[in-house]
Amino acid sequence: MGKPLLVVSSVTYAMKGRDLLFRRGIRGYVERIPQTEESGCGYGIYVPAGADEAERILQENRIRVLRRMEQEDGP
Amino acid sequence: MIYLDNSATTYPKPLVVREQMQKALRELGANPGRSGYDMSVRTSQAVYNCRERAAALLGAPGPECVVFQPSCTQALNLVIKGYLKPGDHVVVSDMEHNAVMRPLQALEAKGVTYTKAVVAPGDNDATVDAFRKAMGPRTRLVVCTAGSNVFGVRLPVERIAALCHQYDAKICVDAAQTAGVVPISVTEGGIDFLCCAGHKGLYGPMGTGLLVLRDPGVSLATLTEGGTGTQSQSLLQPDDPPERYESGTLNVPGIIGLYAGMGFVSAMGMERIYREEMGKVSYLYEKLSRMGHVKLYTPPPAIPYFVPVLSFNIENRPSEETGQILAKSGIAVRCGLHCAPCAHEKMGTKGTVRVSPSAFTRPQEMEALARRVRAIANTVQKR
Repeated sequence: MGKPLLVVSSVTYAMKGRDLLFRRGIRGYVERIPQTEESGCGYGIYVPAGADEAERILQENRIRVLRRMEQEDGP
Repeated sequence: MIYLDNSATTYPKPLVVREQMQKALRELGANPGRSGYDMSVRTSQAVYNCRERAAALLGAPGPECVVFQPSCTQALNLVIKGYLKPGDHVVVSDMEHNAVMRPLQALEAKGVTYTKAVVAPGDNDATVDAFRKAMGPRTRLVVCTAGSNVFGVRLPVERIAALCHQYDAKICVDAAQTAGVVPISVTEGGIDFLCCAGHKGLYGPMGTGLLVLRDPGVSLATLTEGGTGTQSQSLLQPDDPPERYESGTLNVPGIIGLYAGMGFVSAMGMERIYREEMGKVSYLYEKLSRMGHVKLYTPPPAIPYFVPVLSFNIENRPSEETGQILAKSGIAVRCGLHCAPCAHEKMGTKGTVRVSPSAFTRPQEMEALARRVRAIANTVQKR
């Protein structure tokens, strides 16, 4: 299983989401999305552990998760 | 030079602003929000930090509600042209800057109408009542200054915001003269759109401005479309603020300077800045009011009814002429109409000499100005 990247609408929301998750005890990292075929460039939050809970927290706080991507390699 | 033109732009800028801008040019030279390599991410983080600081200072719900603009004028244009549609009605105060009046005038040709509410300096009840009477069934937006850039008259924008919401209208506040001087909260004050200059009371550099949104879900039509670094497969502009309104490369050195400027304001304390600047203006008012041949246009500037901006004239002298004499004495003030002809029309003037201190203005500089004005006024009888 690859590393889960929660794709959000912008770098601003990625950073906001990362900080929000950190306050809830979930570590996240802002990363550029690796594949651009579907939507073009963008940013996501790499969540090493607890991606499902992270996605729920983000959605509850009006941070839209556009999709979830799985990457092959870790950071 | 004694610099008393801080309503136009504050000078000098705090040392920390100059240092941080230099550091940004040295160390944050990548384009933010466009790449994933280290310097781009660090630059993005610095920009984000500025959004967070502005959100905290101005009471925005979050950093995504802080939109960088090149000026307060641009922010006002974005709201006025992005929100209004043909058939809409707008209420403005009768003291607005051309940054408000010219966009509205341009929209008149497209079927947008507006009504001016008469501000009663020092009487907030009367001012709010004037806005109430100007509202109508088609009123979608009220645009008003938080403080006149000519006469320093402060408007009760929170009360006007509450009135707007009763009428299902939104409010856009021009905080060019008040941001960083008078505390304001977008959230608590119910300010739907707050437009700020970054280079005045927030002590950032020129070329910076802010639009602060109370609700990031309210969508404005864009003035500019283009690259945002995200969702680039689509040719449609992204929906979400702040990037929706920030196409093109951001003014990173300016934003870093603005971040430092806001830090300066927070460290000094906005209430202290306001109190001290009002003290300087009140001192000058008291001196000028005792001089013959000097005309003042407002009641004594008192907290909370005024912001630290004062206009005067010397009898039988055009304001620009007075300004030239002061300039020769090394005193910098702004004369003429201050891009606010409506405010001058209201007060029956064809131009004034405007004095506006900053946190760096020393009391002896106001004393020097008062002495020089006295000397000029004394020449009136001899003319």
